[in-house]
Amino acid sequence: MDRVKTGITGLDEMLGGGFLRETANLIEGAPGTGKTTLGMQFIYNGIIQENEPGLIITFEEFPKQYYHDAAAFGWNFQELEKKGLLKVVMTSPEVSRLDVESVGGMIEGYVDQMGARRVVIDSMSHFSRLTQDPVELRSLEFNFINALKRERLTCLLTRESPVLLGEAYDDSSIGFVVDSYLILRYVEIESAIRKALLVLKMRGSDHAKDIRQYDITAQGFEVQSKFEGQEGILSGNPRRMAASFVEAFVKR
Amino acid sequence: MASNEDDFTARLMDDMDPVLLDFVKTKVNSFIKWDLVRFFHENPNTADTVENIAKYAGRNVTAVEPELEELVKDEIMRKSQLGDTFIYSLVTDESMRQLVDRFILACEDRHFRVKAVYHIIRGMR
Repeated sequence: MDRVKTGITGLDEMLGGGFLRETANLIEGAPGTGKTTLGMQFIYNGIIQENEPGLIITFEEFPKQYYHDAAAFGWNFQELEKKGLLKVVMTSPEVSRLDVESVGGMIEGYVDQMGARRVVIDSMSHFSRLTQDPVELRSLEFNFINALKRERLTCLLTRESPVLLGEAYDDSSIGFVVDSYLILRYVEIESAIRKALLVLKMRGSDHAKDIRQYDITAQGFEVQSKFEGQEGILSGNPRRMAASFVEAFVKR
Repeated sequence: MASNEDDFTARLMDDMDPVLLDFVKTKVNSFIKWDLVRFFHENPNTADTVENIAKYAGRNVTAVEPELEELVKDEIMRKSQLGDTFIYSLVTDESMRQLVDRFILACEDRHFRVKAVYHIIRGMR
């Protein structure tokens, strides 16, 4: 199978070698969990390591902010733009939807001119402002994602989770539309906040099922070891296994 | 007397790169246009509706729209249509983009900014 490597330490291994080419891959997490960093790194590594030009479509954060944030990791996005290997495009869901549906639109033009192979959409949460109807929203998201796939792009879509700690109630159906679904969570362990990553779904491929720790370092997103001796990680407030064992069997 | 003082000030303020002086006098001749040009210089691949651009600029849409239209007329901005929606973006013409870059770079100098502000206010009279 043709894999699109993220180039992120530990993540490609969790994904069985990378995302499948020309698929839509959702990264969901609370503010500050590193969705945008992961997306920027996916694009940067694609350009530098795989010679695959990329696009970042932003619906909220100004491109200027991306240039600044990328520079903090040593990634010179403005230089890559000058070389025609990257475009950080600011637009809105309403415009981008119309654009991809039209022939000869802006995104199609960038794909043709730059030979873009990867795209980050930051974030899909903004599509919810197009309609209140969940059925229509699913249809809009489905059409948009299909249009990106039609351009033969491998897509990384971010989505905001409103819950900082604990299990998030989610009434969105975008998880059904995408090919893979990654969750980023804050976890409280021994009075410290750590970050957890889970590959919840990956259509057409095996993937790691365990929950891994990760961190945002000076080099970017780094996936580390899995959580040892803990359970209930996604609750945001995990317990040691021994305590749960006692609770389940001894205290009865 | 006041007229002579005005002339003297005008001569001082005209001491600018003639290309940039013309750019300020004829194209970026309002503070909203200045804001818009700076925004598109910093975020050069922005393409959006006037409503969203006004939001990005933190301005009222009714104030931004005529200014954007003038920037389109002056070939700094481009206006395209998708269905019933009009989209504004910076022109791709390299010489115009370089002129915008030059203007923004020059604005880093306080003396230049003071002169540019003078010409904009004078043009508004």
